[in-house]
Amino acid sequence: MAVGGSAAAVAVPLRSRRRWLALALLAGGAVLLAVTPAVGPVPIPIAAVFAILAHGPGNVGSASVCGGASVSASQCRIWAEIVWQARLPAMFLALSAGAILGLSGAALQGVFRNPLADPYLLGLSTGAAMGAALLFVFNVGTSNAALLLPAFAFLGGLIPGIVIFAVGRTARRSAETLVLTGVALGALFSSLLATFLLYNPLGDIQVSFWLLGGMSDATWLRDALLVGVALAVGGTIALLGRELNLLQLGEDVAQSVGVPVQRVTLLLVLLTTVGTAAAVAFTGVIGFVGLVSPHIVRRVVGPDYRKVVPLAGLVGAGFLLLAWDLAQTALPPLVLPVGIPTSFVGAPFFLYLLYRRRSASGAAA
Amino acid sequence: MTGAGGPAVRASDLTVRFRSVTALSRVSISVQPGEFLALAGPNGSGKTTFVRAALGLVVPSEGSVTLHGVPVGEMALDARARTVAWMPQEESVGDNVPLREYVLYGRYPHARRFTPASEQDRLVADRVLDDLGFRDRKDVGVQELSGGERQRLHLGRVLAQQTPILLLDEPTSHLDMGYQLEMLERVRRLAHTSGVAVVAALHDLNLAARYADRIVVLHRGHVVAEGPSSSVLSPALLRDVWGVVADLKRDPQSGLPYLIPRLPTVDPVASEVARGLRIHVVGGGGSAAPILRALAAEGHRVSLGAVALFDTDSEVAVELGIPTATEIPFVPLGEEVRARNRLLMAESEIVVVAPFDVGPGNLGVLDDLLALPETKSVFLVGPSALAPRDFAAGAGTVRLTNLATRSRRVEDDRELLRAIASPPAAHG
Repeated sequence: MAVGGSAAAVAVPLRSRRRWLALALLAGGAVLLAVTPAVGPVPIPIAAVFAILAHGPGNVGSASVCGGASVSASQCRIWAEIVWQARLPAMFLALSAGAILGLSGAALQGVFRNPLADPYLLGLSTGAAMGAALLFVFNVGTSNAALLLPAFAFLGGLIPGIVIFAVGRTARRSAETLVLTGVALGALFSSLLATFLLYNPLGDIQVSFWLLGGMSDATWLRDALLVGVALAVGGTIALLGRELNLLQLGEDVAQSVGVPVQRVTLLLVLLTTVGTAAAVAFTGVIGFVGLVSPHIVRRVVGPDYRKVVPLAGLVGAGFLLLAWDLAQTALPPLVLPVGIPTSFVGAPFFLYLLYRRRSASGAAA
Repeated sequence: MTGAGGPAVRASDLTVRFRSVTALSRVSISVQPGEFLALAGPNGSGKTTFVRAALGLVVPSEGSVTLHGVPVGEMALDARARTVAWMPQEESVGDNVPLREYVLYGRYPHARRFTPASEQDRLVADRVLDDLGFRDRKDVGVQELSGGERQRLHLGRVLAQQTPILLLDEPTSHLDMGYQLEMLERVRRLAHTSGVAVVAALHDLNLAARYADRIVVLHRGHVVAEGPSSSVLSPALLRDVWGVVADLKRDPQSGLPYLIPRLPTVDPVASEVARGLRIHVVGGGGSAAPILRALAAEGHRVSLGAVALFDTDSEVAVELGIPTATEIPFVPLGEEVRARNRLLMAESEIVVVAPFDVGPGNLGVLDDLLALPETKSVFLVGPSALAPRDFAAGAGTVRLTNLATRSRRVEDDRELLRAIASPPAAHG
């Protein structure tokens, strides 16, 4: 079967190769969704996970729910508790945060005509995390913060948002200028963030969670909130796909065919800031999801932003979920910050993009 | 297709300043529906700024631009985009989208928000692509096109916008000869048959003269010439605006003017000293033609004296647009012509005597030359043997010899230029 597939890919190159890639991504996503609730520091047999899911979130009365005589009733209750109260919320948090980061990356790459743009690389994520961490300085503990957390994250994200809006519009010619500005902002906010976290008067904060991200603080409430933000932000950005397409011809041409460039740009930067802030408030800083996802999508469906934006959301969701699974299983019983696997993939990919650009512009010159 | 009467584009006293630089200065231009106007001018003359101001991409510092009577700045963006389409000098094609999608970009101002392209949009895009010769390549990616093909595709995007006004900034810059003609032919047809008002910035003056109805020449932000293509171009204009020497010819088929430009060819140090002198050339029978061209090329203000109408010299003078004292052909030079010739000699700093043949009809001109004050600088051009030029039974030779004693002798127009450029101390 695999041999037949690759032969077809040679015979009918692009379309067929794209179809196979799309199928592979879909199949991978399905497997990921099925496996994730079973993955974690406490191993739970996958059959038991399915049984627990089929049973629903209600009280687990007997061990039979977990499908076997070898499982005690208390064991089964604990497993059900873990699946319903930790793993599923974490999964949905990873999906919604990944979706937000992925489609934000697509929007930023489109609006700044910059293949290197990403909420993390442009400093948005770190700015948001710094804003959220400011709460801790004021003695508001993680558990009391509730909705203040995304609100403060948004305020923190506004600073890099405004800066990249200004820099992105004036220095659009050089992709590197924008990214370097973002990296510098990121370093600045990182140092402030670390200061706030170490100051940490209540002593209940995991520094690594904020600096490198994680899903351990997931709750159903936060999931509901973040899914809502993902749908609202993603839906709006996806509706601007046509405008994003036209922006690729340059601001002046876009304006000449009737795109309100200034308003669209501002709206897109604002939406990505809102989305990123909400995601960061619940997951900490996670890099490179927004960089990688749109590029994968373009490989499959081409450059049309009307498709790239929503699909970058889907791929981002899958990418972050995969990273979360890897983070939990790479060095058991340790749960790594989720930003480690994303950076492990994303940073080399960033370098690849950077040097491909360099050699392309070198060839053109 | 157009508003009720009035010009499609009207700029009134349009001034655009960028910080300290004035890009356009009190420019007034109007373009009628169905008219093809060419904007000409050297780099940095303000052509692109004018186009951008007409699009509303640049805000006037003073004055205004109206489209069908409405100030550009007051039009809503989508209404503006349904009125005027723009083809920039350089357009990045962005990502590798199929040609069909690229042309559909031009339908943006006609589409309802958040709805896919309509049947009508697809029809328009298909028609445009067929028309531009992309019939079989609608699904090809734009990055697979050559530079010239891309420029045609950009026109396609602009045409799909279906606006009554087109602004084209150097639409032929990447095209080879055949496609240049084809592009401008297409644009002219659009103007003349569909009533579209076209403004095109064009580098190539010959193409401008051939296709545009009217040419406006911009120079340092000012309109320096404006008129029908058949009459606006002149060698003097090319010299003043572009700093090139040009021979103006007429296309024998169409009667339209065309220019053969070249750079002035004398060493720059000399010309620096000697540029812009008033020089009167006495000639006839074609003897002055190379001298006139050489002097005009150097930027001198040249006049020609006492020659017959339709004489080769006077033809060249007309071509170069220089003042001339002319007589009707085949009659002796009359007193009126000699008087004008004397006046031109008196007004000039240098008088140059071309090696014309002397006959009874023009002996009087030599008398006038001999009567010039000693202080007047006179150059006698031609070989030292004067007798062969005399067809007046010795009377010519006498006068030429006398003239030679008070003049500086030079062999030809090249030596003349050098002599004029060198300091008068070398006189001898």
